[in-house]
Amino acid sequence: MAPTDALPTDLDVLVIGTGAGGAPLLARLASAGLKVAALEAGVRHPPEGIATDEVAQAGLFWMDERLAAGKDPVSFGRNNSGRGVGGSTLHYTAYTPRAQPDDLRLKTEFGQGEDWPLEFAELEPYYDELEYFLGVSGPAEYPWGPQRRRPYRHPPLPLNGAARLMQRACAEIGMRTSPAANAALSRPQEQPGYGTRHTCTNRGFCQAGCSVGAKASMDVTFLALAESLGAQIVDGAQVTSLTMRGGHVTGAEFVRGDRLEHLSARTVILAAGAVETPRLLLMNGLANSSGQVGRNFMAHVGVQVWGQVDDDLRPYKGIPGGLISEDTHRVPGLIGGYLLQSLGVMPVTYATQYARGTLTWGPELIQHLSGYNHVAGINVLGECLPYEHNRLELSDELDGRGLPKPRVHFSFGENEKRMTVHAEALMRDLWGRIGARDVWALPRAAHTLGTARMGTDPATSVVNPDGRTHDIENLWICDNSTFPSSLSVNPALTQMALSLRTADALLGGLKG
Amino acid sequence: MTPEERSAVLALLHSAHVTEPTRRALLERLDARYERQFFDEAEFGQLRALAVRLVPHDPADMDLTGTVDHRLHAGAGDGWRYADAPPDGDAYRALLAALPDGFETLDAEAQDTAIPAVQASHPHAFEDLLAELTEAFMAHPLTQYRFGYVGFADAPQWPHVGPNELEPREVAYGPH
Ligand SMILES: Cc1cc2nc3c(=O)[nH]c(=O)nc-3n(C[C@H](O)[C@H](O)[C@H](O)COP(=O)(O)OP(=O)(O)OC[C@H]3O[C@@H](n4cnc5c(N)ncnc54)[C@H](O)[C@@H]3O)c2cc1C
Ligand code: SF4
Repeated sequence: MAPTDALPTDLDVLVIGTGAGGAPLLARLASAGLKVAALEAGVRHPPEGIATDEVAQAGLFWMDERLAAGKDPVSFGRNNSGRGVGGSTLHYTAYTPRAQPDDLRLKTEFGQGEDWPLEFAELEPYYDELEYFLGVSGPAEYPWGPQRRRPYRHPPLPLNGAARLMQRACAEIGMRTSPAANAALSRPQEQPGYGTRHTCTNRGFCQAGCSVGAKASMDVTFLALAESLGAQIVDGAQVTSLTMRGGHVTGAEFVRGDRLEHLSARTVILAAGAVETPRLLLMNGLANSSGQVGRNFMAHVGVQVWGQVDDDLRPYKGIPGGLISEDTHRVPGLIGGYLLQSLGVMPVTYATQYARGTLTWGPELIQHLSGYNHVAGINVLGECLPYEHNRLELSDELDGRGLPKPRVHFSFGENEKRMTVHAEALMRDLWGRIGARDVWALPRAAHTLGTARMGTDPATSVVNPDGRTHDIENLWICDNSTFPSSLSVNPALTQMALSLRTADALLGGLKG
Repeated sequence: MTPEERSAVLALLHSAHVTEPTRRALLERLDARYERQFFDEAEFGQLRALAVRLVPHDPADMDLTGTVDHRLHAGAGDGWRYADAPPDGDAYRALLAALPDGFETLDAEAQDTAIPAVQASHPHAFEDLLAELTEAFMAHPLTQYRFGYVGFADAPQWPHVGPNELEPREVAYGPH
């Protein structure tokens, strides 16, 4: 083994996973002088090696087979989570809306769902810090939520075809819209530990990875910073078990190449995402005195409506996530609410969604797909309540490593069904107003959330409000699995805020 | 693929508008042909006949059937599967077995008439196969040329993104 592959020793903290949960805290802990390292199952994907091609970029996604059960089975793979140094942020659309204060108090407001064991005021300074550090582009005045104390660092990115059509249609019915906050640069930015990140070239392929470093994925932001501060990232290293002694976690065992290796640390932070984190915990029988590990799996309501117009739109151009409206944040008759987003789309993603969503085949299929350059999309992202019937469990089927494949049960509840119907009707109305033809809707659920929820009561939650497991004093969790409710906004920015907050809590604890 | 189509595709792929990793991926796909390894010969013939009906294409232009066979042989997946469905290869085999005998020798109309029944009896396999063939079709440089799709030629950037705001390379590419 080459010397650069030498494993670190005497670690204060070992982080498992380098996505939106794992990366920010790795940098924070390194900057505080701790000796830290991360194990990442995927490999490095430097921007200059990224092809503008969806099939070539399939390696950014977690492709180990997961079993989708329930009445509304969730598609994983390219729909749901990433693998690589940077995790799912390598392929996220980089929409970065903040949660609104009432998102965190669903139970108080509606008597259903869950409250978060923390307040908006505890997230706010982290949002401020993140939007600046990542280089979020956004409007001078954002119409929804509390006034921000620090403006967005860069002006908004240009609006593409779908965004402009949505803007026009919403204006007709008096719905407010705004250029979205997006963690992609409308101006170049110096990034500590990385160098210059370039302006977005409008190439529209965020979900296949950004080839110019414009998008704030973790590799070009927090992970570069962490490494410049001495953190070590071991890539191609998939953790298969946590090691324990006397009720404490002592490190992790992982497969790298064809070898099984081990790293020890005083504290371990699981940041493997809302499927792999509960899977590891269940395989090891850890942190589950509440019986809550794997429970309350959530995926945002994400119905999309597509249509074609006469204009030549070129849906591959421009930041895919251009325009937003949060006017549906609260809708009478619904618990929680949703937001609307315009959609650019890459050709293969569009084509396969159309095939699955409509089951059209033959000449009709080709006819429709040949209109790709005229396609405009719009979607929502809405609250999904935690339910007893939605859960992740280990199946009897084994993967290539001999580990049980996860099986995820997911069925929409009444609220998600009602929300889908409401949103679809609204979006069909909007797309009718722009004269779209061949309009079709794809009912959908997106993002993997829940499965190791945070809370103050060890009987009903897996981690405390700081992210430390109730059961094991030196095992923490920092990823989408800890969300007690789904929030009616995209999760990454809030996840990064939680990550910095967990780091600060850990440092406070260590210092104290 | 006519010689004109081929030279137009190659000209753009070899131009400075395309980055090296993108060029490599698309050139490889343009001429990709696979040897049958997963299915037996009879199954493979049925699959090819079905593929041509589901996603109409000329197998001489693009080897969609071979792409499926190759993927199954390599044991690669797309990250998930319906929990109540068998592994992809078995599911596809069952779907093919449900086709009427001699499906590949029927005329096109009779083939189309037979398809809804296998779709109804094997809904997950049908959906997965349709999506997989559609993906291979849409990802092929020839399809992209014919549909006027130029998104891969992004090396210089796209300064204008509004409706009907096209760059010269977008106007020029594709059949006219
Ligand atoms: C197509 C797509 C678009 C999205 N767009 C947006 C968006 O616009 N805005 C937004 O806010 N959110 C978006 N998201 C969601 C967002 O990317 C996630 O919410 C966020 O990245 C989750 O962070 P995480 O830390 O929980 O997991 P991840 O970011 O997925 O990181 C988990 C990491 O752990 C690694 N890992 C897993 N298991 C192991 C193991 N056993 N050993 C070692 N490493 C392991 C994985 O390889 C991965 O790198 C999008 C998601 C998808 C799929
Ligand atoms: S649209 Fe911008 S941020 Fe997205 S991949 Fe392209 S250059 Fe990167």
